[in-house]
Amino acid sequence: MRRTRYLAVGLALTIALAGCGGDEADPEEATEDGAATETSTEAPTEEATETAAASPTEAGTASGEGCAELVIGSVHPLTGGLALDGTQMDAATQMAADDLSTDGLSITIASADSQGEPEIGQTEAQRLIQEGANALVGTYQSAVTTNLATVAQREQVPLVIDVAVDDAITSEDNDYVFRIQPNATAMGTFGAQYLQALGENAGEPIETVVYMHDETSFGTSVLAAFEAEAGNVGIEILETIAYNPFEVQDVTTEMQRVAAAAPDALVVTGYYNDGVLVAETAASVQPDVNAIVGVAQGAYDLPQFPQDTPDASNGIFDSNYHFDATKERVQDIRSRFEEENGDAMRTAAVLAYQAVEVIATAARSAASCDGADIAAAIQEVEVPEPLLTFPGPITFDDSGENENAQPVLMQVQEGEVLQVYPEEFAEAEPQFPAVPWQ
Amino acid sequence: MSDAGASSRTGRLQTRLHVPRWVWGVVLALVVLLWRWTEVSDLAVTPAGRTIALQALTTGLLIGGVYGLVAMGLSLIFGVLEIINFAHGAFLTLAMYLTWVLADGVGIDPYLTLLITPLLMFLVGAAVQKVVINPAMGQPLENQLLLTFALSILIENALLLAFSANPRSVRLDYANASIGPVEFPLRIGGAIIELPRIVAFVGGLAVAWALFSFLNRSRVGTAIRAAGLNRTGASLVGVNVDRIQVLTFGLGTAVAAAAGVLVLPFLTLEPTTGTQFNILSFVIVVLGGLGNIGGALVGGILIGLTQEIGGLLFPGQSKLLPVFIIFIATLFLKPEGLFGGGAE
Repeated sequence: MRRTRYLAVGLALTIALAGCGGDEADPEEATEDGAATETSTEAPTEEATETAAASPTEAGTASGEGCAELVIGSVHPLTGGLALDGTQMDAATQMAADDLSTDGLSITIASADSQGEPEIGQTEAQRLIQEGANALVGTYQSAVTTNLATVAQREQVPLVIDVAVDDAITSEDNDYVFRIQPNATAMGTFGAQYLQALGENAGEPIETVVYMHDETSFGTSVLAAFEAEAGNVGIEILETIAYNPFEVQDVTTEMQRVAAAAPDALVVTGYYNDGVLVAETAASVQPDVNAIVGVAQGAYDLPQFPQDTPDASNGIFDSNYHFDATKERVQDIRSRFEEENGDAMRTAAVLAYQAVEVIATAARSAASCDGADIAAAIQEVEVPEPLLTFPGPITFDDSGENENAQPVLMQVQEGEVLQVYPEEFAEAEPQFPAVPWQ
Repeated sequence: MSDAGASSRTGRLQTRLHVPRWVWGVVLALVVLLWRWTEVSDLAVTPAGRTIALQALTTGLLIGGVYGLVAMGLSLIFGVLEIINFAHGAFLTLAMYLTWVLADGVGIDPYLTLLITPLLMFLVGAAVQKVVINPAMGQPLENQLLLTFALSILIENALLLAFSANPRSVRLDYANASIGPVEFPLRIGGAIIELPRIVAFVGGLAVAWALFSFLNRSRVGTAIRAAGLNRTGASLVGVNVDRIQVLTFGLGTAVAAAAGVLVLPFLTLEPTTGTQFNILSFVIVVLGGLGNIGGALVGGILIGLTQEIGGLLFPGQSKLLPVFIIFIATLFLKPEGLFGGGAE
């Protein structure tokens, strides 16, 4: 019997090792891929001129001479409930490294699994830095990112946040932490503004809402920002309904409360499973609302959502960060990603790609692989043509927030998620009023 | 070989349903609380408030039936093997993936897989008991705890490897159909009841009834009860206790699998989906009395009701808050569980 147990342990180890082996095989395959090198030539040339402007004394030398081998530590949840986004994001950093590596600057990704736990993420980040990481990218969760921010400051290694929404992570006191995506305040604020604009443009103002949100810090912080802005744009929140996103199995009673309050719109913040549940329950209860609008909702902006719930998704909005579907470069990256990884590339993964690009651009302009030098360069960097729907280039303010971070309003139309507002990013006209059951 | 240290102990399995009268008192108290809510809440004085109250009652009852079914499997395993099976939720997830493959890949109606999935999961459970858990029988409790915990991690990550964390779902084409004059989703006094939730509740009760009949009427059931009451005694009268333990673990897993099939049409499936039932199941099993199968069923329904009604009374709080208040109160006041205390 004891032998069987060793057998089982051995089997488990084999499975685990097989998984690691798969990861390592990726970069080699990617470098052989002709398409990868083709696109990479575009970005670096722009950056080369920038380097020349930034440090004229080094203009004569090849860019990146001071930093030949850049190691970027990628910390994401590769196992556990968030593994889908985590593994996508990790794969995206790898793809970015292959795309953006040049003869002068080779970029290597050192991956680590946060397992979704703040302490583990922190230890793994520490390990990556000890093993030579010059910069960090991560982590998809606010709690884990908060811990990494401390490590980054202490070790003087820049952390570029791809996804993590909590406002408190960045601060003027921490010169090593930068965030590309809109934070919770931006999400909630823009959400309220978009909602107001949506109603006004359609001649059917949205004056009252019921707000359903997950009870974690994610939902509550976005709600707080939405509440603060709602008063300014003339929206009254009739009721807020919180739920536990990891344990919720039924929201019919909650939806009856929405129906009883009869607001102009139902606003939802949360993750994938609960978002699907809310949409399906709304279709059953059919409250008298003019729209269901997600604010930073994790399901309603995904192409999978209308596929999973064809009868309960049409017309649903989401104000969220999103890859810019109108840009050719984004389309190219996403199609190559899908070819390599099988799944459609999510926005979180596009952000991870973007984070690597920010670091690579800064390392080139700093002509140094030193963490402090790269951090100083990121503070001054300007990354044009962002991969997301931002109104301008990526630049960072004193606290490390992207000054042009902005969500976009999307809507499910005939089974497809389309960008509908602001106009410069719109793929289609918003349809309002619109609910899935009409 | 496996139970040398535990042979003199009296088992805990109880397979008959005694519902003490005061339980109905608890149910009545919940209803009164609910009605009280419709008077104090400013929203609830309207007819809409009554609708919400009615919805909370029906939802709590329906979801509680499913909780009860999951907990019954866990309680059965504890009653006979005295193992706290942390992998119960993981088995449930595994069953859901099996059903998803059968429904989405092969094209079988999800409810028809009730004939396949629990059977396969019975074999999986039995094999796991024989190969992995049996060697740990008779060892300290924490060894078994860690073992089943490790098993749950192994299953979860194997599923992650095989299916990725991409959320999957199985939906019924006929969820919104109408059968004769009855249209789904059902509307009763304003309350909405979706077809899959009705099927889950009724199906859950049917499986529970089948389990009761099997344990109380069949020869094998009698052997299981014997092994659950007194291992030494059972082996003395010729019951092969090792085999019964393998069988029981398989049976408990099959019950969880049936629950998995029944909930799949209204949940989204991920490798971690089953674990959310784990915590609730433990609460329910303790509430109903460890090893008391009928207690688990009634306890499940009580917890479902508490969760929904508590959600109304304490808005903005986790629905589990009142559940855990009851859990802690039970541990203090009646540690043997609501239906525990004394053998039959």
